[in-house]
Amino acid sequence: MSTDARSSIRRIERNALLAGLPSAERARFSTDLELVPLALGQVLYESGETMTHAYFPTDCVISLLYVMKNGESAEIAIVGNEGMIGIALFMGGDSTMSRAIVQNAGHAYRLKAQVLKDEFQRGNAFTRALLIFGSALITQMVQTAACNRHHTVDQQLCRWMLLSLDRLPSGQISMTSKLIGNMLGLGEVDVTTATNNLSKAGLIQYDDGVINVVDRPGVELRSCECYSVVKKESDRLLAHQANR
Amino acid sequence: MRVAASPLDNYILDALPQMERQRLFPHLKLVPMPLGTVLYESGATLRHIYFPTSAIVSLLYVMQNGSSAEIAVVGNEGALGVSLFMGGETTPSRAIVQSAGYAYRLTGKRLKGEFGRHGEMLHILLRYTQSLITQMAQTAVCNRHHSVDQQLCRWLLLSLDRLSGNQLNMTQELISNMLGVRREGVTEAAGKLQKLGVIRYTRGKITVLDRPQLEQLSCECYAVVKKETDRLMVPQQHARSVAPESLPSHTKQ
Repeated sequence: MSTDARSSIRRIERNALLAGLPSAERARFSTDLELVPLALGQVLYESGETMTHAYFPTDCVISLLYVMKNGESAEIAIVGNEGMIGIALFMGGDSTMSRAIVQNAGHAYRLKAQVLKDEFQRGNAFTRALLIFGSALITQMVQTAACNRHHTVDQQLCRWMLLSLDRLPSGQISMTSKLIGNMLGLGEVDVTTATNNLSKAGLIQYDDGVINVVDRPGVELRSCECYSVVKKESDRLLAHQANR
Repeated sequence: MRVAASPLDNYILDALPQMERQRLFPHLKLVPMPLGTVLYESGATLRHIYFPTSAIVSLLYVMQNGSSAEIAVVGNEGALGVSLFMGGETTPSRAIVQSAGYAYRLTGKRLKGEFGRHGEMLHILLRYTQSLITQMAQTAVCNRHHSVDQQLCRWLLLSLDRLSGNQLNMTQELISNMLGVRREGVTEAAGKLQKLGVIRYTRGKITVLDRPQLEQLSCECYAVVKKETDRLMVPQQHARSVAPESLPSHTKQ
């Protein structure tokens, strides 16, 4: 195998969903995987927009946001290199109500919609991996729904930071207060208050749009149970896939 | 007029083509679903899938401290137990009967067998799962932005869509678990609606008197979910072959 081919495989394997597939199965569509750069704030799909491709992040993070009629929004899930964007392609809707927006710039592999659908129909490891990822997404959404009913802004900010960090190799989150506000469904003032609280407590440093988590155990303590519940269940589901 | 219960009262089962009906229907078991029954707890391994015909089931998330929030409502348009075919085997939420009635039950083994054929059952169930995800996601956003008053309206509408008639038999405790508020909060919110003439709320029974006003008072979340659910399920939605009045009368306790 050439060096190029080897490094290409290593790169594909940065997405855990693709990495977990038997290499023979992945080889069937790996030439259809196109590596694309994704910029911060780039909108992959608007609410209701028909999806043309599935995306498999390698080092970027995508937010699934719901936007209300009055423009207010809230994040319902975060997707990084553990999964994919485009479940509507195999669930049959072809579009969803959420906006998929790049929360942290990086790269992703994209696959044409029809190729994904054809592969899904085969009923092999890829099918199972996609369905299990769907389960992981449901887990996140369920937790977010409950969290938004019961928990405080500080707790939700911590939860959101931890979920993002788990998907970022750099350990750094580059975000403006406004964007964080869009994720959490808050105004900039509330975000600033919350980040100031966490800075004062020595948990984070937030300068020039970059959040550095200085005391991760402290952030985990401050977060609500929602972070660890989602993490534990996601880990369990994805290990489930790897063991098949 | 159909008086006996039939699997065709559930939209998913009704949408199955003849061959799949022949394969599955003999294995469906009609089960009563009394108010308040917990079908499964969060984290439980699922053994059956349920297709309600007249019962309504709430999917609730329960926090470590016991407080809860409703995530979605499932009635005769859907099914309980999507984790069975999504591969997770367990579910994050608790399923509790919110309005008494009946459901058809199928073993997980049979369901997976049918699902594995990649026929209509798979496609309908996946589309239904996407509509459920839509509901869950909308709830997440609604819980961030909207008031308890609006959420009560939304929840009443979602329930009514899954019932024949305009009456819900409910306990205050159940409503407070759905909305994730204390009982006083429920009394207050329901009281406001009663004053406006939108509902009549007497011991354990809510009667909706003015549906259009209820829709106006609800947040946009109700309409958004309804529109998307209709879009996803429309290929399956045959015109209801049974008029609401002639649905089995054993829907209430």
